[in-house]
Amino acid sequence: MRFMIFSFLKLPTRVLMLLLLCLGNIGNSVAHLSSSSESTLHTNNWAVLVCTSRFWFNYRHMANTLSLYRTVKRLGIPDERIILMLADDMACNARNKYPAQVFNNENHKLNLYGDNVEVDYRGYEVTVENFLRVLTGRHEAAVPRSKRLLSDEGSHILLYMTGHGGDEFLKFQDSEELQSHDLADAVKQMKEKRRFKELLIMVDTCQASTLFSQLHSPGVLAIGSSMKGENSYSHHLDPDVGVSVVDRFTYYTLAFFEKLNMYDNASLSSFFNSFNPNLLMSTAYYRMDLYQRRLEEVPVTNFFGSVMETLHTDSAYKSHRSIDIGEAKIKKRTDQSISGSDRRILRNMNNKDQVSNLSTEENSQDSFGQLWNSVLSKVTTTENVDEFVCHGLLLMLSLLVASTWLSH
Amino acid sequence: MAEIAEPKLKQRPIVRLGIFLISHSLFVSIVCFTAGVLALLLLPVLAKNTYISENALMPGSANNMLSSHDTSVANKLVKDLTDLKLRSRGSEFDSQKLIAQYMFDLGAEVTHHKFYPQSNQFHPLHFFTSPDSGNIGKNISCSSLGINTVGIIRAPRGDGKEAIVLVTPYNSMKVGVEEAFSLGIAYSVFSLLTRATWLAKDIIWLVADSQYGEYSAVAAWLTEYQAPTFSRAHIVNSETCRESNIVYKHGQKPNAEEKLYDGFRRAGTMAAALVIKVAKQSDYFEDTVNIYAEASNGQMPNLDLINIVNYLAVHKQGLQIKVSKMWSLLNYRWLYTLGVVFESLGQIARSLNPQWKFGIPATEYVEGTATLASSLYYQGLGVPTGPHGAFRDYQVDAITLEISSKVPLTKMARRNEFLIRGGKLIEGVVRSVNNLLEKFHQSFFLYLLTSPSKFVSVGVYMISFALLVAPLPIVAAYLHVEASDFGSIQPKEKSASQASSASKMNVNFDSWKWLKSARKVFAFHLWGGVVSVLPYFISQMPNLTAKTSFIVWILLSVFSLLVSYMISGPSFSEAAASQSQKKEWASLKSVTISAAFIGLSLTSVINFATAEIGALLIVPICLMARPLKLDIKASNLISLMRITSNLVLGFIGFPPATYFLLKGVFEGYSGINVGDFWEWLESLWAWNSATYLYIGLVHLPCWALCIHILFHHC
Repeated sequence: MRFMIFSFLKLPTRVLMLLLLCLGNIGNSVAHLSSSSESTLHTNNWAVLVCTSRFWFNYRHMANTLSLYRTVKRLGIPDERIILMLADDMACNARNKYPAQVFNNENHKLNLYGDNVEVDYRGYEVTVENFLRVLTGRHEAAVPRSKRLLSDEGSHILLYMTGHGGDEFLKFQDSEELQSHDLADAVKQMKEKRRFKELLIMVDTCQASTLFSQLHSPGVLAIGSSMKGENSYSHHLDPDVGVSVVDRFTYYTLAFFEKLNMYDNASLSSFFNSFNPNLLMSTAYYRMDLYQRRLEEVPVTNFFGSVMETLHTDSAYKSHRSIDIGEAKIKKRTDQSISGSDRRILRNMNNKDQVSNLSTEENSQDSFGQLWNSVLSKVTTTENVDEFVCHGLLLMLSLLVASTWLSH
Repeated sequence: MAEIAEPKLKQRPIVRLGIFLISHSLFVSIVCFTAGVLALLLLPVLAKNTYISENALMPGSANNMLSSHDTSVANKLVKDLTDLKLRSRGSEFDSQKLIAQYMFDLGAEVTHHKFYPQSNQFHPLHFFTSPDSGNIGKNISCSSLGINTVGIIRAPRGDGKEAIVLVTPYNSMKVGVEEAFSLGIAYSVFSLLTRATWLAKDIIWLVADSQYGEYSAVAAWLTEYQAPTFSRAHIVNSETCRESNIVYKHGQKPNAEEKLYDGFRRAGTMAAALVIKVAKQSDYFEDTVNIYAEASNGQMPNLDLINIVNYLAVHKQGLQIKVSKMWSLLNYRWLYTLGVVFESLGQIARSLNPQWKFGIPATEYVEGTATLASSLYYQGLGVPTGPHGAFRDYQVDAITLEISSKVPLTKMARRNEFLIRGGKLIEGVVRSVNNLLEKFHQSFFLYLLTSPSKFVSVGVYMISFALLVAPLPIVAAYLHVEASDFGSIQPKEKSASQASSASKMNVNFDSWKWLKSARKVFAFHLWGGVVSVLPYFISQMPNLTAKTSFIVWILLSVFSLLVSYMISGPSFSEAAASQSQKKEWASLKSVTISAAFIGLSLTSVINFATAEIGALLIVPICLMARPLKLDIKASNLISLMRITSNLVLGFIGFPPATYFLLKGVFEGYSGINVGDFWEWLESLWAWNSATYLYIGLVHLPCWALCIHILFHHC
């Protein structure tokens, strides 16, 4: 603080020192980044929604997935950021009394299979292989962008899966299964490739919790509909369609979200606590040990919607130079810790946002007003206001002494 | 030397176990046989509750859509049909026309299928083949033409690859109220299904012309559906039978006349078939449904089909489900006592460990046994219990549902309710089968029912049969060893090396001695084959009553037996050496038992129930048989008992005697006629039952051999 006041007095000569100070700050943040992506900003949201079972009597699984699709869309995740995988087409099944419609409630008020449903993987395309490819991003060249999970280090991903599961596996298509090891491995690869910042895995199957047992990657939050040895039950049967239309876990998830819109601030913990084991007829299981943030502080819309922290900047268009400087310096720093160009580029890209607000002081060269602004912003962000006031008083005192001395 | 010899004696455990079993064959056979009978009696206790195994079926998950509209039109059809009968004018095809018109008005595709009824004849080479379609007798007249009416609803969004069949047997010559009602129930469902948007399988409604038998009409249609013969079509449509062609008069309905397709219409592969019948008023105070499931040679439809009918009838429609029972068994005191014993055993077991759910109430046990006996009998008989049997020949799961009302159907007020109940049951079953994705495969095909909701699966009931036949090879081996060891006892005592080589020769000679017995056994089985073919020739003879045919058959059989005796005569008198003469019967018995074992095992593959019943009858006599002369010589208490038991078992084992005894026990001795057995056998061969083959080729020769051993001259 004293340093700043000093620079206020001797503006042109102290610029270099100020710069050094700021770079020191950035350097710290970069060092922190290399250990985890915690301080990377949450910039986008993705959802991967998977229904793994075929056949008419598994109608409810498709209804589950479509309901969740509708919910996340309503809460703000755009269609191009949702990968929807449906293993069968119930809407066009000959047994469906309501052709081309899918309902998740016997009241038939809401057709889940309306106009704007984009199914990315359908029918026999929903395989373990394709699922793992989507997660890890190892696609063949011909796979269109709409079928890829193009997430990055700042992505929050919601992975929802429903189907028939068992101890440490989830059945795909009546012929294959995804094991907990496979899932954990895919998540690990995603982490290594910096494909997500935070990942919420939500599974509605029998013995869902067993699917999470092998996960080790940080930033992963998991919630399952049932513990080991428990079944997940369907919620109700639609006597008109003749099948169960929704599972309990998903039903109560939807019930929770129906009350929300994208401006609501409900936290993940309130969501997790909304499950009543008596109503579920199973025990919902959360795995939180890999997750750093406190669930009370994380709004559900961080995963189910596309709501993220906004950062106010005054000069959206004037930070180019400073970023250039920042980058140049960062490169020097990162070369020491990590080699590997793609990771550096990724980090630098993400740094831009942060750098832009951290290094506003550098713009003092441009105008005095900017500098004053920066000082103010620094001041407002500082906890230590009292100290500043004291120093201000001292300055005033010295000015008074000087003026009286001059007037003599 | 001794050290070398020692390890030689030590054989592998399995060999030692075998030797142990063989040397204690008497004990083993007694234990096994008793255990086998006990296991059979335990089956009702071990029966499990049925459950719907196939997830896709989801019976009762959808609401019934059958409305009063459907039943009112069905009621109108019933009324029209009964009125038609009252008027009794016009041609016999009026009712077919009426039904076709009704189907047509619903928007279904309607065709008539004309067929010649096949008389069931005995063809010795036709066992295990599907009912013959090719040859039709030359003397077919147009009057014997049967006409099935077939209506097909195409699934609106289905792929047309699968179909569900509803069958209502219907005799146009004498329409009863019951038959009209079975048509009414089917019609109400059919009317609903024409409006259903959820059909994934086509629906075929076959109104089978049952004037020449329900089975043959269904079988003829199925043959045409599954294995069409193109040479036949022109016979039916030939000019000579013009009067039988259904011609719609101009005045009636021009639409129907134009659109009625003359060819044969098909839908997809049949997923399941339901034969719907309405029986006369039931004896119970509720509406009941009788399920008949047995097809030819003891084949059963998949248990899931019975399960869904049972579930829907009991839990949704409040109907009572029945399967056939041996009613007379219900009154047996000893059975009830046995039930009480099992019940108390179960209670003891439960007091020891509450986890053991063993034992059922005594009354339930008796009912279970009666049902089990009937299930075993009808499977063992190998004759289908209804028109559903025809479907099984094409691997289609089918059952007959016989619905009966608690009050007379003539009462107007009850009619609609009855139609709605029956219709809703059928609708539920159709909707459930409609959900099916593949063939029925999830549940059991091999089972015995002990009640509509309890079954014994193959894994359980096999045990009793295995225990029954297990002593056979052991005793055979024991007898074989005994028969061949006799000569080599003496050389063993001398330890000279020269003697051992001589004994080897002896053993070599002895070890082949069984071939002589085998020849005899083979001759007897050949005779059995001749006896089973004889009825074919007897049936060719005209004007024979059942009684005379039976007597002729017996005489011819005895004659052929004597002939075979004469041919193989030398071998009998040849046996000169008195020692080997004495053991000859042992060798003969050994081979007989082996033959019985092989025969029973083969039969159990074809028709388990037959093998089970057959084993109960033939195994005791096979095990007990021993020349009476030997026992008479011994003349102590044991041999006396053996003589009586042998004679009794020998009598029981004779097929006609068995038949009459069982008939007398279950139905009373009053109505017994000598010709009954002939008629019974006739029905067996008419239905190509493997049981007939079993009786002729396995049971009878083995029985005759046992009698031969009993009267052996040693």
